[in-house]
Amino acid sequence: MAFAIERQAITKWLQKLLESGEVIAPVRGPCGDILFSTIHSPEKVEWNFQNPLHPPKQFVLPQTDPIVKIKRNGERHEVAPTYDDTRRFLFNVRSCDAKGIAFLTRMYEMEPADASYLRRANNLTIISLACNIPCPLGFCVCTDSGPFLRDSYDVQLTDLGESYLVEVGSEKGETALSGVPNLFHPATEDEVSQRKRLEIEAKNHFEQETCHFASAMRRISTGRVQDALWEKMSDSCLECGGCNMVCPTCYCFSVKDLGRVGAWVRCRMWDSCQYAAFTLEASGHNPRAHRKERMKRRFFHKVSAQYYQRDGMVGCVGCGRCIKVCLGATNMPAVVGAIRKGKWNE
Amino acid sequence: MSAVPSTCPFCSCGCGFYLLTNNGQLVGVAPSETHPVSSGRLCARGWSAHEAALWGDRLRQPLLRQNGKPESVSWDEALDHIAGRLKALIDAGKPVGVLGSPRATNEENYLAGKLARAGLQTNNVDFSYHSICGPLFAGLEEVCGEHTPTTSLNDIASSQTILLIEGNLAETHPRAASSVMKAVEKGAHLVTIGYRITQMARLSSLHLQTTPGNEREAINGLLAAILDLRRQDRTSVAVRGEGYEALWRDVKSVKRTEELRQAAEWIARAERATFLLACTGGQGDQPQKDAAAFATLAAITGHLDRPGSGLLPLLARSNVRGACDMGVIPERLPGYDPLDDERARQRLQDLWGKKLPSDHGWGAENLLQSVSGLIVVADDPPSVVRMGRRAMAAMGRIEFLVVLDAFVTPTVRIAHAVLPIANFAETEGTLTNMEGRVQRLRTATNPPGEARIGWQVLAELCARFDVGNSYTSATDVLCEIAQAAPRYAGIEQRLSEGGWGGALLKDSDNAKFVVHPTGATGAAALAFAGRPHVLACDGAFDWGRDPLVLFSPTLSRDYQSERKFFPNGFVEMCERDVDALNLGGQRHVRLTSVHGDAVVPIRVRTDLKPGVLSVPYAFRDHVASVLGSDSVTAVNVEPP
Repeated sequence: MAFAIERQAITKWLQKLLESGEVIAPVRGPCGDILFSTIHSPEKVEWNFQNPLHPPKQFVLPQTDPIVKIKRNGERHEVAPTYDDTRRFLFNVRSCDAKGIAFLTRMYEMEPADASYLRRANNLTIISLACNIPCPLGFCVCTDSGPFLRDSYDVQLTDLGESYLVEVGSEKGETALSGVPNLFHPATEDEVSQRKRLEIEAKNHFEQETCHFASAMRRISTGRVQDALWEKMSDSCLECGGCNMVCPTCYCFSVKDLGRVGAWVRCRMWDSCQYAAFTLEASGHNPRAHRKERMKRRFFHKVSAQYYQRDGMVGCVGCGRCIKVCLGATNMPAVVGAIRKGKWNE
Repeated sequence: MSAVPSTCPFCSCGCGFYLLTNNGQLVGVAPSETHPVSSGRLCARGWSAHEAALWGDRLRQPLLRQNGKPESVSWDEALDHIAGRLKALIDAGKPVGVLGSPRATNEENYLAGKLARAGLQTNNVDFSYHSICGPLFAGLEEVCGEHTPTTSLNDIASSQTILLIEGNLAETHPRAASSVMKAVEKGAHLVTIGYRITQMARLSSLHLQTTPGNEREAINGLLAAILDLRRQDRTSVAVRGEGYEALWRDVKSVKRTEELRQAAEWIARAERATFLLACTGGQGDQPQKDAAAFATLAAITGHLDRPGSGLLPLLARSNVRGACDMGVIPERLPGYDPLDDERARQRLQDLWGKKLPSDHGWGAENLLQSVSGLIVVADDPPSVVRMGRRAMAAMGRIEFLVVLDAFVTPTVRIAHAVLPIANFAETEGTLTNMEGRVQRLRTATNPPGEARIGWQVLAELCARFDVGNSYTSATDVLCEIAQAAPRYAGIEQRLSEGGWGGALLKDSDNAKFVVHPTGATGAAALAFAGRPHVLACDGAFDWGRDPLVLFSPTLSRDYQSERKFFPNGFVEMCERDVDALNLGGQRHVRLTSVHGDAVVPIRVRTDLKPGVLSVPYAFRDHVASVLGSDSVTAVNVEPP
């Protein structure tokens, strides 16, 4: 069932959320960038913004994440998991990012389930803001992850001008709306049809921004991408790992102990499959020593039918961040396009 | 979670990013789309910048070596002891010196220089990386009147022609490489000069493969081909400058290939061209002459000072430019003014209230080997200078070695006094990138234990030598820098107005160019019958031993595994050369040069041409007996 909330009433709702937990929202930083940050007052929240380059996945999967505490106790070591049970609301997150977090959660739910991740994810309420105007580099329409969502949100807001349409997608969403009597009213037919019209209009905004996954998937899943093409493309990669860092669906990590006197914290850290040492084995052998092999692996994981079958979607939510962040030129649409055409920059 | 805008501490591109902290602890890095240099992009080092600050083996308390063991002492005790020992050495007529660092801020470097010249009354002040990049600066200054760049990183992307002396740009300066790639994508002609077929060489329109140390053959060939163009077609090819008749005499006999003619056309006819210059190797003054010849190429084609065109020297470490500008070079005062410039000397004497020494000081390598007392600020000289391990042995003989650092380095381990200071994420101050962009470091977290902010410690030491000033913040030091170095005049004001991206230093009035004869090509006669191969030391800096990389779990993996699997280093050679040696399963070779010999493991590479061997800078110690003091030498290669 859909509700609606008047524009001015949002502040009251945010105040209620601030009383119930930590609220994270897009905020304009001191240098003009929009960053997802913890807010302490409702007016900090940005409503008209391009999706921040740094993704909100950090609130379920921090770049540096303490997962186990290890303490020396005489001859023995005490080992205890650390959990982050903070109740959080991720407010005004974009459709692609909500879809990305759902993707991560599916991955971390697989056996063996990752308790550290799941505790955070279960305490997180996702309140997304549908994209009436898609961002210039986004191609979420090709990955079924926007501009409006059908799933993967707890609450989805749509800006209708004077009011917001409020769709509830889960029990967590219902809870987020509770305790504030009279703020939400059942959406009128007019409001519901306005949301439908906005979704169609948003989809019409996409122009060149397409990513031909189907064609690339056929080729990549059946090993029909020439080695020479990978080699050529890999020369346009500067191994910065930025694509992995900002990707809403990249979940790979490495672990390292952070030493304190007599005690350590085992930390999980974001890692990049594009770094040479990512697959380096203790023996010194590296199954993917060459950049072209690492690149092939990345795009196989993202685009192949094999992974599509497992994950139910390509490993991309069309946010377009990799286009902005890539130091070289090997972003998702460029590589998918090259695989489809069988040539790179020719 | 909070985000503190700061400047990347690795290479000299000077990207901006946010340091992310949670409950006062660093947890990550976020890119900034609004930063004028990085525009939302970071390289692998930038993305892991928080790691070394978090994982680093940190110094927490002042230490004094007593009875051979380092013992914790109070700050006052340490500072008094250091001042006392140094004064005793000076009174005994023994030489003392100071090493600044491109890993330190402008404020730290400035105070290090002030401490040396005004406090210790010596011009023995340098930074170790200067021994590598000094020749490059000297060559540029010879031709341009200045050692500073004449273009910006962003301008590279709109160039029509890019000429690159290759030192593996993709790895040394990914941000600059990114701009080169963007230009190439838009149809620019990239011409690379180098002895390896690097990633940039593969992306180039034309790669001029030289033998190591003989980059000048290609540069002279280009000069000749450009002068040919001018002679054929005076009107449309701009060739300017005095003295090019002498230049013509020098290069006219160089053989012009079709490739050189093509590249000359691209350079001469481009509206906007970028000249990127890495530190080259070679014997004697060859690197300096290479830089001069390269600058001449930019100058005579009018690209040195044309809008959108220019030359950019590629400096490995973040604050090389700043360290130079702060005058931590024996023969240069703050502002890069020559030591014997009377006006500059007077300016500083008035500012510091002390008479300045006039005796010439020692450069880093000499200094390490000759002083009795040395203060090292945020650096580990043996990992930087070419002499490598030999520098460690030399430092071991120093009577009193003082180190200020955030991290435990090999130099810290042998120091007599250690002062713990804040690292880049904990300090306040400025860095000057390769373009001359002065940017702030901002405090994201607190230094551990009793560690203090670097400039404060140096100010305390200055005070103990009677050259103190009551600085209350890094900005106070910056204000003094603005008085000491004319180009920094008004910098604090410009920084506060300029916001994110800092303030670009103004171009100097000294810029003018003089065309010199380039001299005959360098290493043509290097190889000869007895020693038909050439061994080159590859690269000019080893990030693997820089604490910012070494202590980062993500960044150090490659470097550490290479050192683990090749504890005796290796030299690289092409398959054809390996086959010709009939090693019969052996994976070692014996190298013999005029300096000596060594047996080293080999690694086969596909990007080298026959006759060329290369040793990574990180492994230069393993062939030190072969290389001597050269970075390129003729060798004989045989089975061990």
